Amino acid sequence: MTVHATFPEAALEPAPLLSVAGLNRFYGERIGCADVTFDLWPGEVLGIVGESGSGKSTLLRCLAGIDRPDEGEVLFRGGAEPLDIYSVPEQERRRLMRTAWGIVHQNPRDGLRMDVSAGGNVGERLMDRGDRHYGQIRERALDWLTRVEIAGSRIDDRPRQFSGGMQQRLQIARVLVSEPRLVFMDEPTGGLDVSVQARLLDLLRVLVRDLGLAAIIVTHDLAVARLLTDRLMVMKDGRVVEQGLTDQVLDDPHHAYTQLLTSAVLGV
Amino acid sequence: MTTMIQVENVAKTFTLHNQGGARLPVFDDVNFSVEAGEALVLAGASGAGKSSLLRILYGNYKPTAGTIRITHAGRPIDIVSAVPRTVLDIRRRTLGFVSQFLRVIPRVSTLDIVRDPLLARGASPETATEKARAMLARLNLPERLWSLAPATFSGGEQQRVNIARSFVDPSAIMLIDEPTASLDAANRDVVVELIAEARAAGSAIVGIFHDEAVRERVATRYLDITAFRKA
Repeated sequence: MTVHATFPEAALEPAPLLSVAGLNRFYGERIGCADVTFDLWPGEVLGIVGESGSGKSTLLRCLAGIDRPDEGEVLFRGGAEPLDIYSVPEQERRRLMRTAWGIVHQNPRDGLRMDVSAGGNVGERLMDRGDRHYGQIRERALDWLTRVEIAGSRIDDRPRQFSGGMQQRLQIARVLVSEPRLVFMDEPTGGLDVSVQARLLDLLRVLVRDLGLAAIIVTHDLAVARLLTDRLMVMKDGRVVEQGLTDQVLDDPHHAYTQLLTSAVLGV
Repeated sequence: MTTMIQVENVAKTFTLHNQGGARLPVFDDVNFSVEAGEALVLAGASGAGKSSLLRILYGNYKPTAGTIRITHAGRPIDIVSAVPRTVLDIRRRTLGFVSQFLRVIPRVSTLDIVRDPLLARGASPETATEKARAMLARLNLPERLWSLAPATFSGGEQQRVNIARSFVDPSAIMLIDEPTASLDAANRDVVVELIAEARAAGSAIVGIFHDEAVRERVATRYLDITAFRKA
């Protein structure tokens, strides 16, 4: 029997897709989020959990380029050169958000154009990207409606004629059609009935896996986190109190707050 | 022989912060190794920490101290200190966990559940389907159930789906927790055969089996973990 020395862990990929260092966001005296540092690797799905007011949505807005942090950097390695998203001009950050990133809002109304047809909502992202061939755009829009289980016959209907669950699926199609490298989701199943949630969750699970997406998902629902994420950060009062592999954090929580969260729900 | 698992100085104490900081020591200074082709059966009374140890080997529980080197892609990696994506890669390619419970995912068919590990390891859809069908048939799961999601299945049926998924492409290391708990004698025999076949093909097995007859047919070696009980 040979006893091997433990080799240092070799990187599976050359570099993280997103590197976040020393992120702080204050609202006057109050902490929005503080001292957040982590790497996200291609294909990895990170969950951010915590109660209302824990800072998880603030953190997501800072990461997604929506809310400028007071300190720290968010480095994105999507192209040839790593990009510090808050040191580039506004215009470049906006372009990045439209092309390489996607944001799924909790309320589909924040992510959709309610007075534009379903097909238009999906096709618009392709036009942003520079696609000009109308027939191809409509064909891809139709393909994506089908993938999110919206009947093709609804392509010319406005989102306000859709149910909440359908609106959320349409928003997901609108985000994913442009093939983003990184997707941010804020409570993607919040506000939906439980049966509608299950369908959406399964859809998200399959899409994330098949597309090899990297994603950051904010949720207060630990069952959603268990189903969709690889690793978790648990936030309390603006700080990350525990992080690690999702099933390890949920099944063997070490921090008092995580133990409280996991013991407060039944059967996650 | 190839060492697949090397456990050194592993200790586990649960600290319950919301119950007055109560400390529950489980074990201390656990040392053992498992070779390819071995079936190590964990022994010890209920509550001795057998399941906790199995979960620690899988990276699901975090030990208070110690290292666990898992031989993954030909080299040992400490699963205790590995980052999440490395642990997930180890599980995908090297380390399987067979529990008595199936975690049901809404809307996913039985056949897809069983095919999934093969597809994740790069098998063609045709090969994966063929192997999955053969495994479900071997575990006597009626063919009319294969296209259904197992949410409404009985406990024994769900357990067989879980076993089919685990043994359709046996991992180099298989951690097994009470796989036969709600199975009838015929299906129990199938599980014992599946374990023996995986072992013959070189898998290292670590398991917990309450059924004494099953235990004796499976084990090549026993480890009584009561010996590691904290004094």
